[in-house]
Amino acid sequence: MQEKIIEIRNLRVKFKDKVLYNGLNADIYKNEKVAIAGESGSGKSTLINVLLGFIPQFEGEITIDGKKLSPKYINEIRKITALVPQELNFSVFPTVKKLFFRPFEFKANKHLFPSQQEIKDIFDKFELDINLLNHSIKEISGGQKQRIVLASAVLLKKPILYLDEPTSALNTEIKNKITDYILGLKNTTVIASTHDEYFINNAQKVIKL
Amino acid sequence: MNKGVIDIPWSLLAAGYLLMIIPLLIFKYYKTGLVKPTLWALLRMTVQLLLVGLYLEYIFKWDNPYINLLWVLIMTIVASYTVVKRTGLKLKFFFWPSLLATFLSIVLIDYYFLGFIIGLKNIFTARYFIPITGMLLGNSLKNVIIALDSYFKRIYDETTSYRWQLADGATQEEALLPFISFALKRAFNPLIATTAIMGLISLPGMMTGQILGGSDPMIAVKYQIMILVVIFASTSLNVWLTILFTNKIAFDKWGNLKNDIFSKSQ
Repeated sequence: MQEKIIEIRNLRVKFKDKVLYNGLNADIYKNEKVAIAGESGSGKSTLINVLLGFIPQFEGEITIDGKKLSPKYINEIRKITALVPQELNFSVFPTVKKLFFRPFEFKANKHLFPSQQEIKDIFDKFELDINLLNHSIKEISGGQKQRIVLASAVLLKKPILYLDEPTSALNTEIKNKITDYILGLKNTTVIASTHDEYFINNAQKVIKL
Repeated sequence: MNKGVIDIPWSLLAAGYLLMIIPLLIFKYYKTGLVKPTLWALLRMTVQLLLVGLYLEYIFKWDNPYINLLWVLIMTIVASYTVVKRTGLKLKFFFWPSLLATFLSIVLIDYYFLGFIIGLKNIFTARYFIPITGMLLGNSLKNVIIALDSYFKRIYDETTSYRWQLADGATQEEALLPFISFALKRAFNPLIATTAIMGLISLPGMMTGQILGGSDPMIAVKYQIMILVVIFASTSLNVWLTILFTNKIAFDKWGNLKNDIFSKSQ
């Protein structure tokens, strides 16, 4: 039987003016590829933020890799995750190189530092020029930034990969190519909030909000 | 070379104010709206400095270590209050960490400079302790404000970068590193620039004051060099400690920046 990696029970998130999810239950299995779908404002991105501990005022119970989502375990939980955020405001990192390599500087990830070959391969797959690494962060487009962060996240090889509208800044051709690549990742549970029909149609599970 | 300084009679001090007609006319002609604030600032500056002159006369006359220390403590409290107010952060959270950081940096640097470099037996001697501490506080204030302001505003504006790092396995300390680096650059680049051109474009105030007071220029220069070093060191210590202490209260137990730390909505 497949092993669960995330269990969501009776999830509700109260904001000042609305309540989201109203008792959502969901099980996500190891290495499953999951799309979170729904209208704008239905809480797709918020769900990812809840799962990462960024919205602590949730009700219900969430278990990730056997640990309760709580302040006590949040650091342990974040060690097995990687994120590609939707908003790509990274000006605190002056260069593309700093942004790309930043996650590999953390104590928890130092042993995951990628080889030159791995970097070259992923850049080729995502149609990125390796020389982009020498550019300032202000010089590259939103689509390039998105692929740079995605490439970095993929090379981290974390058990759980959260993607928040991962292909929103990409054109159709490259978008489908990258979606195929993400959905084909072997040892990774992928959870993506997305509007993209291609992603939703090809995911193994869809959580409809 | 000890000629003593020429006193300015009160009547001529008043005549000196006539120079302010130049900026006031310029401001008025170009309808800047700066005339009133300038007059107000001038009045405040005059009253405040005259008051300082008055009580410094007594403080110097008494030269009591406890009163001197109390005086410095009051200056530190005012400085910390100003820092927190100017950064738009809530006083109830940030006043105490800022006060502790400012006080620690002042005490440490004063102790080294006055006790070891100047070699005072009693570092609380009013003639040294009060003006030097005043210079340290006054000069570090601007940089601490810039650092603290850019630090928290940048984390708020770029929550994505902060969260992205946490989500990829960073400890809180690791995720804050780029923001601390950013704030330090913002605060210290101007100080580095002014330090590098010191003496070329401007003669610093303290040195000018000492020369006017009859000091040998080389003694004045030595003091000025030390003062710049001491300001640099105490400012960096103050900024670093303030960030370190405020980090303890500005984030919740999940590592998220608390929503209610800003006094004005961002």
